[in-house]
Amino acid sequence: MHPRSFRLIFPEPASSESDNGFPGSSATPSVLRVRPASPPPKGPESQGALRLEPRELWVAAHVPQLPLLAIRAVEQAASLARPLVIVDPENRQRVIDADPEARAAGVRIGMTLGAAFAAVPGIDARPRDPVRELELMQRLAGIAATFTPQVSIELPDGLLLEIKPSINLFGGLRELCRRLRDACRADPLLSQVRAAPHFTLAPTALAALAAARAGARCFITDVAVLPARLKPLPLAALRWPEEQNARLTAMGVRTLGELMRLPRAGFARRFGPEMLADLDRLLGRRADPRARLARRERYRGVRDFDHEIEDHERILQALAPLLTELEHFLRVRQRGITALQCRFHHYRAAPTRCTLRLAAPEASAERFTNLLRERLATLVLPEPVRRCELRGGALTHRTETSRPLWSPGELGHARAGEMPALVEHLRARLGAAAVYGIGRAAQHRPEHAWCIAEPALGAEMGRKMGTSLFNGESDAEPVRGSSLNRDVPIFRPLWLLGAPQPLEAQRGRPRRDGPLELLAGPERIESGWWDGADVQRDYYIAGDRHGARLWIYRECTGTKQWFLHGIFG
Amino acid sequence: MPAANDKQLQELLAHPSVWRGRSRAAVETVPTGFTALDAGLPGGGWPRHGLVEILTPRPGVGELYLLLPVLAALSRATPARWCTWVSPPHEPFAPALEAHGVALDRMLIVRYSQGLTPHDGRRRRSDGVHMGLWALEQALRSGACEVALAWLSRASPRAIRRLQLAAEQGRALGVLYRSQRFAHLASPAMLRVLLEPLSEGGRYGARLRLLKSRGGSREPIDITWTAAAA
Repeated sequence: MHPRSFRLIFPEPASSESDNGFPGSSATPSVLRVRPASPPPKGPESQGALRLEPRELWVAAHVPQLPLLAIRAVEQAASLARPLVIVDPENRQRVIDADPEARAAGVRIGMTLGAAFAAVPGIDARPRDPVRELELMQRLAGIAATFTPQVSIELPDGLLLEIKPSINLFGGLRELCRRLRDACRADPLLSQVRAAPHFTLAPTALAALAAARAGARCFITDVAVLPARLKPLPLAALRWPEEQNARLTAMGVRTLGELMRLPRAGFARRFGPEMLADLDRLLGRRADPRARLARRERYRGVRDFDHEIEDHERILQALAPLLTELEHFLRVRQRGITALQCRFHHYRAAPTRCTLRLAAPEASAERFTNLLRERLATLVLPEPVRRCELRGGALTHRTETSRPLWSPGELGHARAGEMPALVEHLRARLGAAAVYGIGRAAQHRPEHAWCIAEPALGAEMGRKMGTSLFNGESDAEPVRGSSLNRDVPIFRPLWLLGAPQPLEAQRGRPRRDGPLELLAGPERIESGWWDGADVQRDYYIAGDRHGARLWIYRECTGTKQWFLHGIFG
Repeated sequence: MPAANDKQLQELLAHPSVWRGRSRAAVETVPTGFTALDAGLPGGGWPRHGLVEILTPRPGVGELYLLLPVLAALSRATPARWCTWVSPPHEPFAPALEAHGVALDRMLIVRYSQGLTPHDGRRRRSDGVHMGLWALEQALRSGACEVALAWLSRASPRAIRRLQLAAEQGRALGVLYRSQRFAHLASPAMLRVLLEPLSEGGRYGARLRLLKSRGGSREPIDITWTAAAA
């Protein structure tokens, strides 16, 4: 179908400000409208157009005059009495935005600051505030994310949403767009700064964005009509680099229609394959995947008390509504948190913080309450508490588990969550370092042959155990005397002293509450010359007069001192 | 007496919560790994859930060897549950435990620093023991523990009663190691064992007396540590 067969109706620039670009319920849906001569498909404004099945449908939102809005959002209205001009400090102090007063007085976008001052001496020039601009865009993205997960911010002032999968959920394309527009209008922050995002709909991301930036009305669901619709848009809508735009303008290319008419091979040779790829993406000839904006959602709840509270149980009671809110917050998102911070604000003293760390993602208010109770029991508050603040950590995936038929331990049953729960519970009160697991290390030196390990938790442990049970090793085998193939570790004591304890000796014989009888040995352990903890020891098993068996050693070097290193238990 | 009534009576008497004088209570047990001890204990082994007190004249006389076979068996039970050690006197030596067939990844060591301050800022003398009892009770009650061993010097009968109930609720075996000095005190524990070391001709073992049991042997039981442990 040749583009020439379309009839174009141009939008009136003044009317695009009031309406957000989307067709209202009564107004004609699209002013920038193309009707193919034949055969006549259903208009893009009807749902029937979706039968053509574009792979994607993108909504773009462009916030006009974002730098100005960002400055207005933080400044008091009184301090902005004079005509306001926003300059870009990174681009030779060029004017990038100006309020209507300044524009009326003759300030133009792209002027140098000097030229602007020359035009209007009384202007108030401010540098742009990129952080604040991004905040506004993130706010907009937050609203958009309630309609689709595929949201990306196009810096500095564009936003892209892929809405195709959400159409049925929100009751049709028209309804979805109406809700999106209403949600943006209802947002208090955006309406306070009078941000009026301009929305467009197109089957490719770049086309929607270009139309939004050009301020054109665009509500297209069909890729085939895209080239015709984009034709009247100015070249600047693509936001290509300044010098490329200048070269194209010098060639007489001012609109996208003129751009599309250029021969591909020549275009690629002159401007590089990257710009040709851009053009293909614009027209849907090339895939244009966008990175999803990762939303960083956290829970934060604050509660002010009517009076100061000192009692821990009362603090916990006061926290209960916040914890219930937190549980609801997590449940609707099907997420859990592994860290929870509580801040207690006092009258004078700095806020007391207490952080709970959980071994597995958790969302239950009851669990949080129990853990907080243990934590509060050991928390010292310098002053009574006036205000509580609860901050949840990063949201993590949490799998729901079924409740068991049996009570814990009954018929050998243990619920999956109980093993981590016990660890968390003990750690909440005793501290993280107080609860640990043990593991083996491949070392001959006894003090290095074991290590502190994080307690093994959950499913991976069950699996590991399962394999060791069924790989032909019977349960009783290592227990009984048949484990002679492992006889070396058998002569190890069950207890190891934290540090070897020196023993007194009499005529070369070790003593500990009476003379020690050497039962077995020596076993020489000589290792560790490479890491500075060199040992050269002769180990013996010794019995004392009380019937206890000890693991003692004698230094092979130096003073030949006797030490007690383990007890056979 | 009609046979039907007799049968009903027998059924009633066989109920685990009914215990008559010297009769042996029907309790769920797990073999100790020592034949002589199995024969002497009610039900033929350590109770599957409940509190056992092991009293020793001094630490390191074989009290851990006594528990090793059951520790090895329970640490390999499915589904996985913890074997918790509350404030052990020294570090449990991982290579030796592994050599005795204990699954290390089910071991959970709980130590608390004695200097832990309670919220009112005052330190009490009993805080350490208090924390130990708390930790042991949590472990037993949670249902996430197969067995919990604890080394606590002081424990009042009331605390032991709580532990006994927690162990029954969480269906865990609690083992409380205490000094022989407490042998004469009453204790609500299910089973109390006094352990004295024996050494004859290079064979090490122990003489066990059941101070309290529901129908266990009244004679001392001599056991020797198996070849694996000797």
